[in-house]
Amino acid sequence: MAAPPPSLLSPAAGSRLLQAGLRGWTGLVLLFLYVPVIVLAVYSFNSARLGVTWEGFSGRWYTELLHQAPLQRAAFNSLVVATATTLLSVVLGTSAAWLLHRYRFPGRDLIESLVNLPMVMPEILLGISLLILFALAGVGLGFITVIIGHVTFSFPFVLVAVRARLQGLDPALEEAARDLGATPWGAFRHVILPALRPAILAGGLMAFLLSWDELIVTYFTASAASATLPLKVFGMAKVGLNPVLNALSALFLLVTLAGVAFSAYLRRGAR
Amino acid sequence: MKLKTPNLPGRLAALLLLLLPVAARGAGELNLFGWSEYVPQPVLEGFTRETGIKVNFETYSSNEEMLAKLVAGGGRYDLVQPSDYTAEAMIRRKLLQPLDRARLAGLGNLAPEFNGRAHDPEGRYTVPYMSGSVGIVVNTEKVKTPVRGYRDVFQAAHRDRIVVVNDSRELVSWALYALGQPVNTVDAASLARVRPLLAEWIKLVKVFDSDSPKTALLNGDVDLGVVWSGEAALLWRENRKFQYILPAEGAHQFVDVLAIPAGARNVAEAHRFIDYILRPEVSRQISAAFPYTNPNLAARRLLTPDELANPASYPQGGKLESFRDIGRAAADIDRLVTDLKSAK
Amino acid sequence: MTSPPVARDPGARPGAVAWLLLTPLLAWLALFVVVPALLLFGCSLGERDEFGQVLWGFSLENYARLLDPVYLRIFVRSLGFAALTTALCLLLGYPVAYQIARAAPRVRELLLLLVMVPFWTSFLVRTYAWMAILREEGLLNALVAWLHPAWAPLGLLYTPVAVVTGLVYSYLPFLILPVYASVEKLDGALIEAAHDLGAGPWRVFPSVILPLTLPGITAGVTLVFVPAVAMFAVTDLLGGARVPLIGNVIQNQFLQARDWPFGAALGVALLGLFLVSQLVLRALRPRGALRG
Repeated sequence: MAAPPPSLLSPAAGSRLLQAGLRGWTGLVLLFLYVPVIVLAVYSFNSARLGVTWEGFSGRWYTELLHQAPLQRAAFNSLVVATATTLLSVVLGTSAAWLLHRYRFPGRDLIESLVNLPMVMPEILLGISLLILFALAGVGLGFITVIIGHVTFSFPFVLVAVRARLQGLDPALEEAARDLGATPWGAFRHVILPALRPAILAGGLMAFLLSWDELIVTYFTASAASATLPLKVFGMAKVGLNPVLNALSALFLLVTLAGVAFSAYLRRGAR
Repeated sequence: MKLKTPNLPGRLAALLLLLLPVAARGAGELNLFGWSEYVPQPVLEGFTRETGIKVNFETYSSNEEMLAKLVAGGGRYDLVQPSDYTAEAMIRRKLLQPLDRARLAGLGNLAPEFNGRAHDPEGRYTVPYMSGSVGIVVNTEKVKTPVRGYRDVFQAAHRDRIVVVNDSRELVSWALYALGQPVNTVDAASLARVRPLLAEWIKLVKVFDSDSPKTALLNGDVDLGVVWSGEAALLWRENRKFQYILPAEGAHQFVDVLAIPAGARNVAEAHRFIDYILRPEVSRQISAAFPYTNPNLAARRLLTPDELANPASYPQGGKLESFRDIGRAAADIDRLVTDLKSAK
Repeated sequence: MTSPPVARDPGARPGAVAWLLLTPLLAWLALFVVVPALLLFGCSLGERDEFGQVLWGFSLENYARLLDPVYLRIFVRSLGFAALTTALCLLLGYPVAYQIARAAPRVRELLLLLVMVPFWTSFLVRTYAWMAILREEGLLNALVAWLHPAWAPLGLLYTPVAVVTGLVYSYLPFLILPVYASVEKLDGALIEAAHDLGAGPWRVFPSVILPLTLPGITAGVTLVFVPAVAMFAVTDLLGGARVPLIGNVIQNQFLQARDWPFGAALGVALLGLFLVSQLVLRALRPRGALRG
């Protein structure tokens, strides 16, 4: 009988065909993910206004960006909202995950289901219901209402990430800290929290991205002064592809890719 | 492992500082709620430069959207841009406040035919902003047969080559026109009459787009359509092959107006903005960007012959009619069109 | 050697500090999740007046309207689109998630970030890019015309194919990430053991890997299916707003027809559907499964 093939998870030789197939598939999917992004980046250099046919290479939309005060304002608003959302989501999500994991109290199961609700609730319903709430309560729409909306659908993501990590943690860790004389809060702060850092970072990043690109809930909870970038883009993009938006998106892409490359470079050095 | 204690108080302070500039209310502000791409950015900037009043511009793409947010939010907007029939409903519902005509010196610039209109006969609440029509645009390079009315558009020969605005009321009114029925009588009987014709028509449409129907025409994905005159005018500017025709059976003429909501806070600033818009040079700027029919005669005198010759901006003849408010029937129309669309 | 899976600790009773931490969570949930949901339900029992305002009352008329075949057909169609999208995301995304989890740690993080980076750009602009690719005189047709002129032009834009493409594109990362998290936690020893017992890769996958990554798959499927049902922007842009899906209908009620109570009823029905499916899934999940 032939020797059984080695583990699929070993970096060393596995079933060659399968490995090559997986690698190729991943490449194709990544291509699929990036084709529209490349297209939009290329079109940002199209000198034609209506963006239909390629008319020539031009960097004018990038310089145009400098004059687009409302867009810049909206980008700033988005940054403020996303940052606030991330901070609040991380605090709320992490503490919630810890409490649900660690303690037993009446209604815990109900809370668990409730916490999942905003994650799966269609955004339009969340936006509408919040609008009704704010309208009935007489609360004016603005930054606060937008951030409330964003935190509500973001923090479950942080919670899920942290919760998963918590479940993988060795309970002996906390016990050991307590045995060494730490208070529950101290144990949490100095032992658990650092161990949770990757999950918090992952959840926080997710919350930031969700908030940054969010349109529908924001649509119902924002005011003119607190318009975020997706709202502004929505208004502009509706009347046809505006190359300025391409330039903006391409810029963000560049910044992000640069950030990713930079962090990879740092990581390489640290290892 | 050395731990860095998170500087929570410091971070909170930083966040608050970040929020401070956006929370502070500047002196002299205007919350404008208007159609997307109807108020050119240079006009807003010019206004701010001259008066120092900051304009917060929020947009919508349908009257119903505007009403929904206005009614729910309440008092956040100082100036809105409803269409005439929506303004009619708003006036009846006391959602608008009367204008101080003494502060609007430029009112005399408006063409007389825009005064005394059904939605606001004494002009107490509204000032016309731009007017237009909904008509047929044809790519004459692709469509060689003459197209004179709605029935010519919705032919089997044009299957999947048609774009229309995604407005249920418009769709129903075209069918009413084609059947020779009054366009402002929308009830169960008229909807039943319209249904079979509309069912046929909807099957032939490729794209429903209220925001930028010109895109599909420019891309060559469709060859003709029934769209807003401003869109058709932009197409004509781009390429003369796009001709605009007012349907023979009758066409909808709309007047979009500026009005001040009842709960507005910055009333003085709103008046200043309206007066600013009434100036010929400013109104002319709007026409240059969005070539609808300009109700401002003084501004029209500043237009180029080319702009005045645009058949979509200043159409000749045609049977034009305004929409009136139909109240609850809007929901019935929506249901009908949803039903017909999903039956494909 | 990795430690055995940890049994779930039933948990202690909360102390004073814990209650302090619990309060904001409870308050937030109560105020911004429960109350709006209740308001939505309450709104669905009301009626629309002449001017589109909500007349609060108690009437099941909106729910009766729901049962109209028009809307039921739209519900079913939306579920179909969402199911197709989910299936395609699984097909495309699972192997990718698996591959990324197998990679070396540094490459792993890089690949994950690479998957997420396109979503740093505006969702709308990306959708417009798809329109530029799929339309008649677009890039895809240019490619097809060059390769095999007889097939051109592929009329893909404004068809369900374009809509599904857009939906899959929007939701793929939401599937890749949870599945990746699940695959990453796979214990290599288990796979080795299976191999030692003589199972080939095609046997190992369905009997060992698939069941163990089921939590990730379930999470991913939920994160894709549920929002996909209510999506309307992508279908409007890529589908030419031709075929109304439930998301369009709901949006119409709030923004066009201004019949908020009916829209709320549609929304409550949608939520009800998901709650039911969640309960069903929970009942079906095998008890005592290894925590993956």
